[in-house]
Amino acid sequence: MTIAELVQEASLEQVGYSSDECLKCNVCNTVCPVARVTDLYPGPKYVGPQAARFRMGRAQPAQVAGLPHLLSPDMTVDYCSGCGWCTTVCPAGVKVAEMNSQSRARMKAGKRPKLRDWGLGQTDLTGSIGVLFSPIGNWALANRPIRRMLELAFGIHHAAPFPKFSKRTFQSTWKRRQKRRGITAVPGPERAVVYFHGCAVNYYEPHVANAAIAILERNGYQVIVPEQVCCGLPLISNGIYGEARDRANKNIKILADYARKGYKIVGTSTSCTHTIKAEYREMLDIHDDDATLVANATWDICEFLLDLHDQGKLDTSFGPLDEELPYHAPCQLRSHGIGLPAMDLFALVPGLRAKDMDHDCCGIAGTYGMKKEKYDIGMAVGAPLFEKVRASGATEAACDSETCRWQIEKATNVRTRHPVEILLAAYRAGDARPVAAPVPAAPAAQSH
Amino acid sequence: MPSADLVVVGAGLSGHTAALAAAESGARVQVLAKGHAGTHWGTGGFDIAGLPGSATSRDGLRRLAATRGHPYAILSDDLEPALEWLRTRLAAEGLTYEGDLDTPLARVPTSIGGTRLAAILPAAQAAAVRPWEPGERLVVCGIAGFKDFWPDAIAASLSRPRVWGGVAGPSRVDAVTVELPGLAARHNLSALELARRLDDPAWRADAVGRIAAALERSGAATGRVALPAILGLDDHAAVLEEFRRRLPLEPFELPLVPPSIPGMRLYYALRAALIRAGGRIQIGEAIAHVDRDADRVIAVASEAAARTTTVRTGSMVLATGGIAGGGLVADHGGHLEEVVLDLPVEAPEFADWLAPDAFDPAGHPLEGAGIRTDADLRPVDQSGKPVFENVRVAGSLLAGQRYLRERCRDGVAIASGWRAARTMTAVAVAEPSAVTAGPGGGEARSVLR
Repeated sequence: MTIAELVQEASLEQVGYSSDECLKCNVCNTVCPVARVTDLYPGPKYVGPQAARFRMGRAQPAQVAGLPHLLSPDMTVDYCSGCGWCTTVCPAGVKVAEMNSQSRARMKAGKRPKLRDWGLGQTDLTGSIGVLFSPIGNWALANRPIRRMLELAFGIHHAAPFPKFSKRTFQSTWKRRQKRRGITAVPGPERAVVYFHGCAVNYYEPHVANAAIAILERNGYQVIVPEQVCCGLPLISNGIYGEARDRANKNIKILADYARKGYKIVGTSTSCTHTIKAEYREMLDIHDDDATLVANATWDICEFLLDLHDQGKLDTSFGPLDEELPYHAPCQLRSHGIGLPAMDLFALVPGLRAKDMDHDCCGIAGTYGMKKEKYDIGMAVGAPLFEKVRASGATEAACDSETCRWQIEKATNVRTRHPVEILLAAYRAGDARPVAAPVPAAPAAQSH
Repeated sequence: MPSADLVVVGAGLSGHTAALAAAESGARVQVLAKGHAGTHWGTGGFDIAGLPGSATSRDGLRRLAATRGHPYAILSDDLEPALEWLRTRLAAEGLTYEGDLDTPLARVPTSIGGTRLAAILPAAQAAAVRPWEPGERLVVCGIAGFKDFWPDAIAASLSRPRVWGGVAGPSRVDAVTVELPGLAARHNLSALELARRLDDPAWRADAVGRIAAALERSGAATGRVALPAILGLDDHAAVLEEFRRRLPLEPFELPLVPPSIPGMRLYYALRAALIRAGGRIQIGEAIAHVDRDADRVIAVASEAAARTTTVRTGSMVLATGGIAGGGLVADHGGHLEEVVLDLPVEAPEFADWLAPDAFDPAGHPLEGAGIRTDADLRPVDQSGKPVFENVRVAGSLLAGQRYLRERCRDGVAIASGWRAARTMTAVAVAEPSAVTAGPGGGEARSVLR
C-alpha cells in the first residue's frame, strides 16, 4: 500500500468526509491570505472541498502511466501555505486546510521530494551541522553571493529570513548546566514540567529557552528536558508525511512516559505544541492512546502561564516596562483555540502597552515564504502587518512562533521577541525595584 | 482565558450587537463563534419588516408585533433606538446606512433580475430605493469574465413592468459589459477579487474610467447604474466616492451570491466597533460544553486543540442562529436540538415538516421554529418558566419569526441583541449582589447577571 492510499484510507472519517458539510458558501475564500495576494492560488474552497470529490476515487491507482497526478486534480494546492484560516472560519466544520495538506502529501507521494523541500524538513540535520560549523554557516548565510547561489541551486530565496546558528545546541548547554548544578532527582508533576524546546530553540534561539526556564523556575517548577526530535511540522508542510510520522512516533514514545506520570509538557514554539496537540492525530493519523495522552498533556508556554494565573498561582511581581509592544498572533496559535494568552499576560505588566496587530498571517508560514517561488507571496501576505509594526514606532515586537519572528524582524528591522522574553524582562524590572516601593497600578494593556 | 461578564455565542449581527452594547456599558465581553456566517451570506442591508402591503418598515413592524408569538411582540419598542444606536457605531467605522423606519419600502432590483422590498440600506445600495422619475433610465453594468452577474439577463427581466410590483420602474433598462484593466483573459473572476482590486487607487482610476466610457456609449445621459456589489472592501468609502464622482449615472450596488461583499463590510465594521469598545472575539471553535450552577451558566468551554478552553462568565447571550446558522440541528426523526444548552425548542409537528406544496407562499412551517423566551429574552420551558436566569437568546434563534417571508431577520437581530445586553445590564444595576467569582483574585466583579 502506498503512503497516498494509507493517508486516504485513514483520514476520510476525520478530514476527507468533512467536505460533505461544505455549503459552497465561499467564506473560506474570503479569509485566505494567499488568494488575497496572488491568483496562482484560486482559494481554499476550490482546492479543498470542491476538488475533494475528484480525489475520493479510491479505485484509482496512485500512479497511472502518463497520468502521474490523477489523484490530485488541482496542482495549485501546493500554493496553500497551511495557515489554517479557512478551517477556522468555516461555519460548517469543513477541515479545509487539513484536506489541502493531505492532498499535497498525496500529490507528492511516490515521488522523490524536491531536495529543497526535503532539506527544509530536516531541521535537526541542518541545525546540527549549522551549530557545529556556526561561524562559517553564519557567514555563509549572511553572504549575498552565497545566498544567490543557494537560490539558484536549491530554490531558497536569497532574501528569505534565516536566523543565526547558535554556538552550541540548547540540549548540550542544558546538560552541562544540570551537571554543574548537580541536579539528578526530579520532583513530581506538581513541581516539575517537561520542556519541549523544538528546533528553533535548540539550534538558533537558546535565549528563548533560557527565558522560559527562568520563568518556570521562578514559579516553582523544575524543568525536565528530555531527548527529543523535530516535531515534524516542516515535513508535514512539505508533504513528506512518512518521515513526519517517524518523528512524531519518536516524540510520542519519549513524552508518553512523562505524560503517564502526570507531567505537563510545555513548549515555547507554538507551532510545535500545536503539531503535538492536533496534527499528530489529525494529519498524520496516529490514533493510539499514547498520542492522545501526549496531546492532552501538551501546553503552549503562555497558555500554561495564564492557566497558572487563573489558578492564582502565577508570580505577578512584574516591574514596569514603559514601551509600545506590537504583538502578532501566529496562525498556529489561532489553531490552538486558546485565545491570545500572551496578550493576557502582557496585561499584567505595568506600563506595557501591548497591542494586537490583528493581521491574519505574516506570510512565512513555516518554510513557505523561504521558497524562491513563494517568497514574494509571503512578503505580500505580511505587508500590512509589517506596515503596522513599523508605524507603531516600537523598538521591539512580540510573537509566539519562531519563523514569524524571523520574518517580521527581517521585514521591519524591529527586534521581535518571544513573549516569555518580555515577561522575563518585566520580572527583572520588578526585582530591580526598591523593595518598599508601592507597586503602581497596572494599566490594562490594550485589549484585542 | 480570563473570565468575562458576558459570553456571546455567535458572531453574526445579533451576537455582535449584544456584545457591542454590553461592552459599551463596561462589561468584559467575550464573543465565541464557530465560524463566520450570517453576515457573509446576507445583503448587508437591514431588513426590518419588508411585508408586501406595508408602506414603511414601521407599518410592517406594527403588523408583525401584533402577530402572536412573533419576537417583535416583545421587541417592537427596542428596534428604533437600537437601530439608531447601531448606525452611529457603524458610521464611526466608515460604514453608513440610509433610510429609517419611516422610509417608504421600495422595490429594489436584485442580481437575478427580480425586485425585493427594502428601505434601510448601506449607502452604496441606497440609490435603488428612491422612486423612479418618469423617463428615468437604468443601466445594468457587468464585468467581462465575472460569472456571478449577468447584466443582459438582469436588464431583460427588469424591463418587464410586472417585476416592479405595480410601482413605476425605470423607463428603460439597458445592459453594458465592461472589460476591466488586465483582466482580458480572465473567465473566473470573483466578487472578492474585483472588490480588492478596486481598493487599489491606481487600478481603480483606470477601471472607473472604462466603466464611465461604457456608460457614455450606452447613450443614457441621466439615470442610475446598477453594478455588482464589488465597490471595494477595505477602502469602500473611497471607492464609492470615486464611482459617484466620475460616473455619468448615479451608481448603486446589487448584492450577489456569497461571499457577500456588503455583508463582509458589515462584519468587519461590527468587529472593529466591538474591539474598539474593549470586547474580545474568538472565531473558529464550537462550544464544547457549558457549566451551570442551578439555573445559572457559570462557565463556557470552547473546543480547542487537545483540550477545551474555559471562560468563566457572569452571563451568556445565545446568538447562534436558527437551522441555517447552525444553532438548531434537525435530525431525521423530527427532533430539533439547540446545540449549546439543549434548550427546549418550539417546533412544528414532524408530520408538518413536509408541506404538500414546497413553494407555499405562506412559507415553510420550520421557519418559525426556535427558542421561546420571556420578555427579557430568557429561554423558557413549555410552562413559560425561565430555564436559565442569566442567559438571553437573540437573533434568528428566536421562535415565531418567518424571516424569509417577513424580511425581518436584521430587525429582530438588532433589537434582540440590544435588548439582551440591556436587560442584563439593568438587572445588574438593580441587584449589585450579582457577582461571580473571578479567577486569580482581584477580578471578582460583574456588571451583568
